Amino acid sequence: MDRTRGTAATPKSLWPESPWRAAGRRLVERPSASVGLVVLITLLFCVPTAPLLGNGPLERALAAGQGSLSFALLGGLLGAAAGLAWGIAATALGPRAERSLMGLAERLAGLPLALALPLAAGLAGRGPGVLAPAAALTAAPFIALVTRAELRALLRREFLAAAQAAGVPPGRILRRHLIPNAALPLAAAAWTALPRALAAESFAGLLGLGLPGSVPSWGAALAAAVRAGDPAALAAPALLLALSLWALHAVGDGLRAAAASGETPRTAGGGRP
Amino acid sequence: MTTPLLSVEGFSLLAGDAVLLDRLTFAVGAGEVLAVTGAAGSGKSLLLKALAGLAPPDLTCDGTVRTVGRRILVTADGTLFPHRTLGAQFVELLHHHLGLDEHMALRRAVEALEWFRMPAAARRLSLYPHELSEAQRWRAVLALAVAAQPAVLLADAPAAALDPTQRAWMLDRLAGWARENGAALLIAGRAEEGVAGPADRRLLLEADRLRPAPPPPGLAADGDVNREPPPAGAPALSVRDLRVAFRLGRTWTGEDRWLTVVDGVGFDLAEGDTLALVGESGSGKSVLARALLRLVPPSGGQVAWLGRDLAGAPPDALRRARRDLQMLFPDPAAALDPGMTVGAQMAELLETLRPDIPAADRGPRIADALREVGLHEAVAALHPAALDAAEAAHAGLARALLPEPRLLVCDEPAATLAGADRAAFLARLMEVRRRRRLALVYATQDASDALRVGRRALVLLLGRIVEAADSAALVEGARHPLTRAMLAVAQGAKGGGSGGEFGSGLPGDPPSALAPPSGCALRLRCPLARDHCAQEPPALEGAATSHRIACHYWETNSQGAS
Repeated sequence: MDRTRGTAATPKSLWPESPWRAAGRRLVERPSASVGLVVLITLLFCVPTAPLLGNGPLERALAAGQGSLSFALLGGLLGAAAGLAWGIAATALGPRAERSLMGLAERLAGLPLALALPLAAGLAGRGPGVLAPAAALTAAPFIALVTRAELRALLRREFLAAAQAAGVPPGRILRRHLIPNAALPLAAAAWTALPRALAAESFAGLLGLGLPGSVPSWGAALAAAVRAGDPAALAAPALLLALSLWALHAVGDGLRAAAASGETPRTAGGGRP
Repeated sequence: MTTPLLSVEGFSLLAGDAVLLDRLTFAVGAGEVLAVTGAAGSGKSLLLKALAGLAPPDLTCDGTVRTVGRRILVTADGTLFPHRTLGAQFVELLHHHLGLDEHMALRRAVEALEWFRMPAAARRLSLYPHELSEAQRWRAVLALAVAAQPAVLLADAPAAALDPTQRAWMLDRLAGWARENGAALLIAGRAEEGVAGPADRRLLLEADRLRPAPPPPGLAADGDVNREPPPAGAPALSVRDLRVAFRLGRTWTGEDRWLTVVDGVGFDLAEGDTLALVGESGSGKSVLARALLRLVPPSGGQVAWLGRDLAGAPPDALRRARRDLQMLFPDPAAALDPGMTVGAQMAELLETLRPDIPAADRGPRIADALREVGLHEAVAALHPAALDAAEAAHAGLARALLPEPRLLVCDEPAATLAGADRAAFLARLMEVRRRRRLALVYATQDASDALRVGRRALVLLLGRIVEAADSAALVEGARHPLTRAMLAVAQGAKGGGSGGEFGSGLPGDPPSALAPPSGCALRLRCPLARDHCAQEPPALEGAATSHRIACHYWETNSQGAS
């Protein structure tokens, strides 16, 4: 047999895209993910510039997003970092640490963690130094669980054994094989911290226990509109909050789809149609 | 034979203009077993579905299919309803087809399950499908089909994922049922799935047409068995009392629980020699292969390459040894990092194992290795996702050859390939091995593969060697019941006639390392087991210096058989 691929194959299969490019294509090919990306970018552009746009209800609601979105970013990054560190520590520190760390994460994930934010605000004040760790806590256990599962699956993959058989030292296996292959699934897991932090802060703001009054936020704007009984003022922040939550989730789904390897499933029992 | 139960005349299946099946004509009579073999995608499953009246609605059927009595199709995945107990599924099916009440249906169910030797059949009826092991699930699926007493039973690649010894036994039971009850049985599957074993007639589905399958070459044909003379010289690889065990945790009394996967295996291998490790799934052959290269940490014993023990070797010495010892993995596509091009991974191997080769020479060497295995050198620029299974297998071989190894450890290297691809890959492997005078350790569950590749073979059961002999000696007179069963099944799968009392495989499942049976690990499945087999595990003792067997009764048993 002589597999002369170079001459026989079509150009598309001869120079296929790199895995990163393929992942980007899978992300963009999902309609919801690409629309979500556009929505997010538009919001990130409009929210800081809203005061320049005018003073209607929509512009005011957009301006209120400044606090919400920056807090979501702060709390989300903190939660993502904590969750990733948690999951990585559980995988790296051996079975006993794994059992206790993951047991804790599972127990926490079963609690209504959205209440952590108003609880912390009520007990320790409403400064961002209190609220951001509380928002991180609402997301971290879930990310830790997903991180551990992804890493365990990755560590069982055969190409790591092949790299070991090729004499590659452990440090380089980590750098060249483990981290590049873990990056996308872990990014998809970490992304979920953003919508969680945003939702938790808005919920706390609605209760009047969110960010301090000097910082504008959608939750607080909603609460004010409810108190004033003004449906028109309610609509704009509610809509923007729903839209940004949907966009964050849509992009998260797209990242997960991008992280899922693009292998075509093998046919097991012959050519079934 | 009176009127056939299933008769097909000029049967065609068309998808638009494309002809999927072209004017097939055959008949299956009462008590007859017909095997339809064919490569993947040749339309076997489609034919069976169409015969059962379940062809996809967008296909056009042409010709006549006549059946007398009830038809039942067993699909290739062998699914049961996931949320209903086995008993409920039997009751529903038997009520529908035979109008039996619940009591009668359950009685029929137990009989059918016992026909397939389901252990404690009556108790299994209250279980859900996910609580059954794969082998038990297949017993249940076949029992369910048999219990409905169909006149025509269509089975699509039944039990294809099971071990050959188990599968052969189940197919034999199924054929036995058809013959006893005067049903027509049609089994479809790939030739290497052994569907032809119990069949009366064999047809080959190829290029949309059916034709009689060519008589397969027998296993004992001379060219098929490795009869090389033993190479001279001191052993290069020497393995002594190798053990691999994994800690499972503690029992409530505070003792450590261990799962012993490889238990005291030892052998020598000279340069250029070939050794096959044969065993069913769970026999430890794959872990043993990895332990040789220290990809799995051994928990005892020693593996010495050229007199140097690898078990305690420092990283530098181990890397030098890895230059000589390379591995082929069971899923070659998964053994390539999806994030790097094939060439980058090969360059990485050269960089770590052959620092003496200057960086500028790596490219030409990689191209040479790819060409040597029959791939185009442009493959180096591809990512693994662009390769099909056969190309990935060849790329894996090219990578293993790069550092110019002297021993290749192969763990079912063609497991993901079928048919012509598989044969071509194995031929390439053997050609490379001959040209480079490589020593080979070849782990496989296919006994005929093992005898073809290995000059010597070790038969493994639950991590222990049960028979060690030259391949030529095994063909002429295997002594251990497991070896005889595996050889007979490998022979029967090709349709080369039954292999005596072991021709239909072994009943029951391979023993579990978590709860090994007392005494001999095979005794629960062994047709020749006696009381003494339960009392102590047999030791490996010699019929000749090069032929050793771990069976209490190898002398008496083999006399009785011959």
